[in-house]
This record gives sequence, structure tokens and C-alpha cells, in this order.
Amino acid sequence: MIPGSTASACAAVLQRDLTLAWRRRGDIAMPVLYALIVTTLFPFAVGPEPALLARIAGGVVFVTVLLAVLLSLDQLFRADIEDGSMEQLMLAPQPLALLVGMKVLAHWITSALPLIVVAPLLASMLRLPAAAMPALLLALAIATPLLSLLGAVLVALTAGSRRSGMLLALMLLPLCVPVVIFAAGAVAAAQEGLPWLAPIAWLGAGLVMAVVLAPLASAAALRIAMES
Amino acid sequence: MSSLPSPSILLEARALGFSRQDERVFGPVDFDLRAGDIALVEGDNGSGKTTLMRVLTGMLRAGEGDVLFAGQPFSLTTMGGAIVFLGHHLGLKSDLTARENLDVSAGLYGVRDGTSPMEALRVVGLGGFEDEPVRRLSAGQKKRAALARLLLLPARVWLLDEPYANLDREGIALVNQLLDGHAARGGAALVTSHGAVSFAGGEPRRIRLHA
Repeated sequence: MIPGSTASACAAVLQRDLTLAWRRRGDIAMPVLYALIVTTLFPFAVGPEPALLARIAGGVVFVTVLLAVLLSLDQLFRADIEDGSMEQLMLAPQPLALLVGMKVLAHWITSALPLIVVAPLLASMLRLPAAAMPALLLALAIATPLLSLLGAVLVALTAGSRRSGMLLALMLLPLCVPVVIFAAGAVAAAQEGLPWLAPIAWLGAGLVMAVVLAPLASAAALRIAMES
Repeated sequence: MSSLPSPSILLEARALGFSRQDERVFGPVDFDLRAGDIALVEGDNGSGKTTLMRVLTGMLRAGEGDVLFAGQPFSLTTMGGAIVFLGHHLGLKSDLTARENLDVSAGLYGVRDGTSPMEALRVVGLGGFEDEPVRRLSAGQKKRAALARLLLLPARVWLLDEPYANLDREGIALVNQLLDGHAARGGAALVTSHGAVSFAGGEPRRIRLHA
């Protein structure tokens, strides 16, 4: 790879963010532990009847994963803005949108992927039937990058403000409604033995759109944030 | 002065000014930087030196006037990487080592012919500290690690915002030596300082900003 080429720039950003996450690997475990604890609370709160738990399992896992991703999103650009790395990314010869896309990918790998790995455990704690497990995993695999990309736009928009954590949640959660409906819908359909690919296809369409548009929007928002 | 810039002009500001909410931050200023030029931007605290730098990098939109790069209107989308900027925030990741930080910069911007991250770190006096996480370096050593980026990257124009801050006497000499070498290679640099500065190569061009 030629230094300074687009491929090497993407690799450099991706490798940098993954290395940074690995140096602080305790932080990777946080969202996973959070999701585990929240899921454990549900049987205590609603009662341990297997039929009831199985009915809510899909929805609970999605909302828990959504909140766990949200917790880590806030940090997506903050450290880079504070230590001046964002300026270096902006002045680089490559399009900022591409580099932001790499940052989102690294964030998804370090925060959402571990959640997908533990999702079968969470779902079986809530007695989700094994037949619905493929639908759950596929829905998560498509819904979480969609959430990361939507979140990146909003994090970039709120990057200028000091206390952006709650603001971010208030802005992102309404946008997640369709994602949760389609994802949980696919799992519910699979539980009842109905075809469940249609809602997944809708999620996929959303993801394709987000992959194209979200990095551009994030980059534009970051440029505005850096002007203040 | 003719309106056509001579080809050796790298960076040119024409009636450049910036206002924040109708309050003038600096300008209008006119200057040009030719190959081999080192210019010093002088001004008291709050006179807009950093803002001028950010406008020149393209991160801030100039309110009035133009920035030309090699005779063309400057824009980050077409000329990214032509300028290397060293600001108050050094752009170093504290959990990465000095060498890893330089590797990231090299991946983003490319590398000047005949140099390498290790060589750049040796020149700035961080030989032996290459694999030390940046957070364990002193403030002056961090600055040196950021200066190594200047040596490594191929950009011809350096914009250095307060490069002398946090440096000991040897460090100041190092910055001057880097600037001299850059000018000799046909590069240009704009340096801000609020204090007295003596360059090695005699009296620099001065651009004065008033608060």
C-alpha cells in the first residue's frame, strides 16, 4: 500500500481506532456487562413465566442492545476533537466522509460486535425459542450498523455542545423506532413460524442508504462543529 | 503588484479578514508566502493569530477576502494534504506510541521522499522513545513528537501555531533548524508567536496582527 493513498488512509484510521480500543479493552466489556445486567433485571421485574419471557425476549434484546450502543456512541468523535486528531483528519488529502466512515466501522466492531456475540446468551436467558435465533442474529447484524451510522450523524451534530450525552439520546431514540419495529417484527414473525425475511430486507435497505449518506452528513456536521 | 501571481508563490492572502458575530477577529491582512519563505505572525493574545491559522488551513471559512494556494482558490476538498498544521492541540493519541502516531499520519498524508517515522523521531531527539506511549512523554517531548510529523509529511506549506511553547532552549533551536531545512528544500512556513523570536537565518518576514 502506498502511504497517502486512499486505501492506506482508511487502513490507518481503522487500525488506529482498533488499537486504541484494544489498549483500553476494559471499556469494550462495559456495554456487554450493561446489556447482561439489564436483561437479567427483566425476569425479576415481569415475573419468570417462560411464555411471557419468550414473548418479550426479542424486543428486550433489541432495546437493550440499542441502549448499550447509545452509551458508547457519545465518545465517537469527542476524544479526536479534544486532542486535535480531528483537525489532522480534516486536513488530510482524503475525503473526510470516508475517514469518518472508517471510524464508525471501528466503533461498530468494538462496541456492537461484542453485543451481537452475547445476544444468543441474552435471548436464551429470556427463553427465546432456538428457531427464532437466526432471525435475531441477522436482524442485529443489520440493525446495529444502521444504529451506529445514524448515531454518528447525531454525535457529529452535537459535537460542539458540552453536555451532549442526554441530548444525543433524545435525538437518536425517536429515529430508532423504525429500526426496532422491523428488527423485533422479524423475530416475532420467526417465533410464530411466519416468513421473516421481509422486515430484514427493509432493514437492509435502510442500512444501504445510511452507508451512503450518513458519513457525508457526519463529515459536514463535523466541519460545522469545528468552526465554532 | 501585478494581479497574476508568480508561480513561486505558494500561499497568498488577499484582504483576508474574519469576523465572529459582527466582531472583527483579525484583518484585513495581505501577504504572500513564496517557496523558501519563513514568515512570523506577531500579535498580542487575542489578536487572532490562531484564527488566521485556522482560516488558512481551510477549517474556518474566511468572512472576507481570499486564500489562494499556488494561484488557485484554496479548498480542502481539492487540496487537502498540501498544508500541514501544528496547532495548540498536537493531534497525538496518548495511548499510542510516538511511532504509531507517526504511522497514522504517514498513512493519511503520505511520506516525504527519503524519510521514515524512525528517522523523523531521531532527528527531533526522540531516539529511544519511539515505543513509549505518548502519555508517558513530557510536554516538551510530546511537542517534539508532533514536530516529527512536519519532517515526515510531504506538504510544502507549514502552518505552525506557537511551535515554541513548552520547548527548552534546545527545542527552540530544533524548531529553527527544522524551519531552515524546510526553507532550503523550497518549502514555506508561517509561524505564530506572542513572544520575541530569533530565527537562525536572520530577520524573518513579519506579519503583524492588531487586537
